[in-house]
Amino acid sequence: MSRAARLAIAALRRAAGGLLLLVGATFVIYITIRSAPGDAIDAISPMGTPPDVKARLMEEFGLDRDPFTGYIAWLMRSLFGDFGESLVFSPGAPVMEVVLPAFGRTLLLSASALVACLILAILAALLLGEPSRRQQLLTGPLYVATAAPSFVVAVVFVQFVNWGIKAFLVEGGYVPPSWYPLEMYTESLVPYVFAGLTLIAGDGLFMDFFNSVRADLNALRNAQFIAAVKAKGARTLGHIARNMVMPLLSGYAARLPIVLGGVVIVEYVFTLDGGGYVLLEAARERDFPVVVGLSVLFTATIIAVNLLTDIIRALVDPREVAHGG
Amino acid sequence: MSPLLSVEDLVIEFDTARGRRRVVDRVSFDLAPGEVLGILGESGSGKTMTTMAVLGLVAGEPGVMGGSITLRDGDDEIGLLSDLEQVISRKGKRVSKNCRKWRRMVHARMRPLWGRMMTAVFQNPRHSLDPLMTVGAQVEESIALALPDLTAAQRGEKAVDWLDRVQMNEPGRVHGSYPHELSGGMCQRAMIAVALARRPKLLIADEPTTGLDTTVRAEIVELFRALLEEERRSMMYISHDIREVLYLADRVIVMKGGRVVETETAENLRLGRGQRADYTAMLLSAADLPSGAAA
Amino acid sequence: MGDSRLRVGLYLSGTVVGLVLLLGVIAPFVPYDPADAVDYDQLLQAPGMGHIFGTDGQGRDVAMRLLKGTEAFFLPGLMAAALATVFGALCGAVSGYAGGWLRGGVLGTMQLIDTLPRLVFIILVCTILNPSIYLIAFVAAVLFVPSIATVIRRRVEALGSEDYILAHVAHGFRPVRILLYHILWLQCRPLLIRQATYVFGYVLFVEVALSYLGDYGVQEPDPSWGNMVAQARGLRGVSAWPWAVPAVAIVVTIAGFLAFGNLLARADEEEVR
Ligand SMILES: Nc1ncnc2c1ncn2[C@@H]1O[C@H](COP(=O)(O)OP(=O)(O)OP(=O)(O)O)[C@@H](O)[C@H]1O
Ligand SMILES: [Mg+2]
Repeated sequence: MSRAARLAIAALRRAAGGLLLLVGATFVIYITIRSAPGDAIDAISPMGTPPDVKARLMEEFGLDRDPFTGYIAWLMRSLFGDFGESLVFSPGAPVMEVVLPAFGRTLLLSASALVACLILAILAALLLGEPSRRQQLLTGPLYVATAAPSFVVAVVFVQFVNWGIKAFLVEGGYVPPSWYPLEMYTESLVPYVFAGLTLIAGDGLFMDFFNSVRADLNALRNAQFIAAVKAKGARTLGHIARNMVMPLLSGYAARLPIVLGGVVIVEYVFTLDGGGYVLLEAARERDFPVVVGLSVLFTATIIAVNLLTDIIRALVDPREVAHGG
Repeated sequence: MSPLLSVEDLVIEFDTARGRRRVVDRVSFDLAPGEVLGILGESGSGKTMTTMAVLGLVAGEPGVMGGSITLRDGDDEIGLLSDLEQVISRKGKRVSKNCRKWRRMVHARMRPLWGRMMTAVFQNPRHSLDPLMTVGAQVEESIALALPDLTAAQRGEKAVDWLDRVQMNEPGRVHGSYPHELSGGMCQRAMIAVALARRPKLLIADEPTTGLDTTVRAEIVELFRALLEEERRSMMYISHDIREVLYLADRVIVMKGGRVVETETAENLRLGRGQRADYTAMLLSAADLPSGAAA
Repeated sequence: MGDSRLRVGLYLSGTVVGLVLLLGVIAPFVPYDPADAVDYDQLLQAPGMGHIFGTDGQGRDVAMRLLKGTEAFFLPGLMAAALATVFGALCGAVSGYAGGWLRGGVLGTMQLIDTLPRLVFIILVCTILNPSIYLIAFVAAVLFVPSIATVIRRRVEALGSEDYILAHVAHGFRPVRILLYHILWLQCRPLLIRQATYVFGYVLFVEVALSYLGDYGVQEPDPSWGNMVAQARGLRGVSAWPWAVPAVAIVVTIAGFLAFGNLLARADEEEVR
């Protein structure tokens, strides 16, 4: 069989696996809904929901049936992007319309923060090379700093900006409207840049990425085949770059779920109108369809990214398809 | 004839948990053009480190700490370690070395020499080839460096030709294969093709048969023999198997614990002429060869 | 190699871990009434005698709230760490050692759990169940089982073909004994230590984050490091102490636990060798 055919089959098989995972994960989410104590409908509807809305919810979430057929009915709607209507957050609007643009911003923010983090990690790894005693004096304390959860970093960040703005503005008699100083820039990219920096610095993301990139890079530089490439007088750059693609990509894919967790709280601290912020606001107001819709979107994203990584790996690494993963 | 390569008083040391350890201790030898030098010694005796020093590829710190290595490139004499003293500083008993600077200096010096003057085939063939490139592409990379004027099609032909010359069955198929699709012996043949296609003046073969099955080992040794008969070339052949070394080499040095304990022609060793160092005598008798009179 | 540095790091992080454990153990026995602690004569005092970390916006002693705040995550964190490690080790060992449907089933379940976005799923659970921190810690533990199981499975698979394990099999040791003692206890201990401290750090993170957000964690006036940090919102930069002290405590605790797990594992690995 040709390599292309084998690749296509492997990709199809992976895609089927991904779909199966999505079904399984949504089932877990659905079962979590059904596990609410007492009457599920009371657990998931906000205070004072009118009876007709409750009835609609009952039907939408299949609460009037047994868990299995209820799940099938709910899944069928969800797979076509119908997560019902928002209750409180944006009453009456279809969940997808409320959630998608916000989630897109979240995805863009997370993905680009992670790309920036990746580039920084590569640069730092190239610059620093093999770990040395002197470097450890520096990286030791840095390690402590980067153990900070991203929202702690965000709080500190906001406070500093706050102080800075105060120093400028109080003289003119202007006091910022709230503790949150970046409201003034809602139309600009500035808060997004700050949030991105917070994501990079928080949750040990950069340090973790840097350590693994450096370890991979150094292992590769010391690999025997690189010595052989050097010994024949060829340039090692191409060989090293090609062999770094997969570790970098896997590292990226493995960290995206972590960032998608961190971004929820970072968006909240910076009051960015993203999926995480919407999730928390909807959760606070018990706008249940919105929370569920977002949970499914987050899950689907993780599955999609893993799927994509698998396929790229099969394209880059000839050993993958051969072993029929 | 003046030697192609001469190594004098080479010292290599490494920092370990138990302090600094000297793994190559004042090793000296010469290699004449067209000569096959065998280096024999048990595991850990410093054979690989000696050859890595010649190649400028010692990994680990502080690495090369003394001695001189001279290569003769036509009429030029190149001292590979001539700047070594510049990066070594002595404070009382403490001797330290600026390894980063040294690595940069070595790279700058070796870049024009790697491949053209010498290249290497390493032990463990499975890790010697880039796993993400076809074998053919790797042979072609060598050919492109040796003969930059060839067209892509000519390079492809030449690569298949080289794979054929290292006695690969089905060279055409192997050309498009990835290393993981080949057996260990095939990988080693491919590696030899990659090295020879580069047309080096000196080929360094560091235990090219270690890690292979006995029958495959014999095949690889035969391949080297055939290649040498086809075209006389300078070579360092490292092994811990005395039979292999005696079969291929003109002259042999025997190493133990980082030192050279014996330098002798292969013929004298084969025939059991002359006085032998204890260790060499033991190796010879273990291989059922006439061991000569122990000194 | 870095023997002395390893020891220094181990002592430093060990001190942090020891201190947190000590605080966690004594905190429940210290009587504290949040309402009683309010003192409008002593608002926002800087650290000094009497209040080593100063007082917050309601005149409450920050040090005292820091101590009582450990109650919110200490036991749940330990419980989750224990649960996740035990189940992770078992799932990893089973999927690495067994074959057939058992292996397939465990692997599939692990993969399934691993696709759930951790924090988002925890928030979902919070919305539906309004759970106690113990239930949240339990969910966190379950969410961590796959990553631990994967690490262990790789190790078990690698060891399964090692000669000395085969020799144990040939000697007629029972598989359960080989798996539990020779493989899990002797060989995977460093990995498990590392993972356990990681889970503890994560539970701390979740508790603190939820309390910071304010809806599902510890509610004022009860103290949690998270709702202490949240005071930054109200203080508008007037005083940093009330939120900076718990923020530093969070960072140092998480870093301390992670580093302790890592270094202990390294030391253990070197000893095994
Ligand atoms: N980076 C390093 N750091 C510390 N010690 C090293 C390092 N590299 C090699 N050594 C030590 O140097 C000694 C000589 O190694 P070398 O690889 O030259 O042996 P060898 O004769 O080639 O043995 P073998 O037959 O096993 O290949 C060994 O004892 C090895 O442990
Ligand atoms: Mg060797």
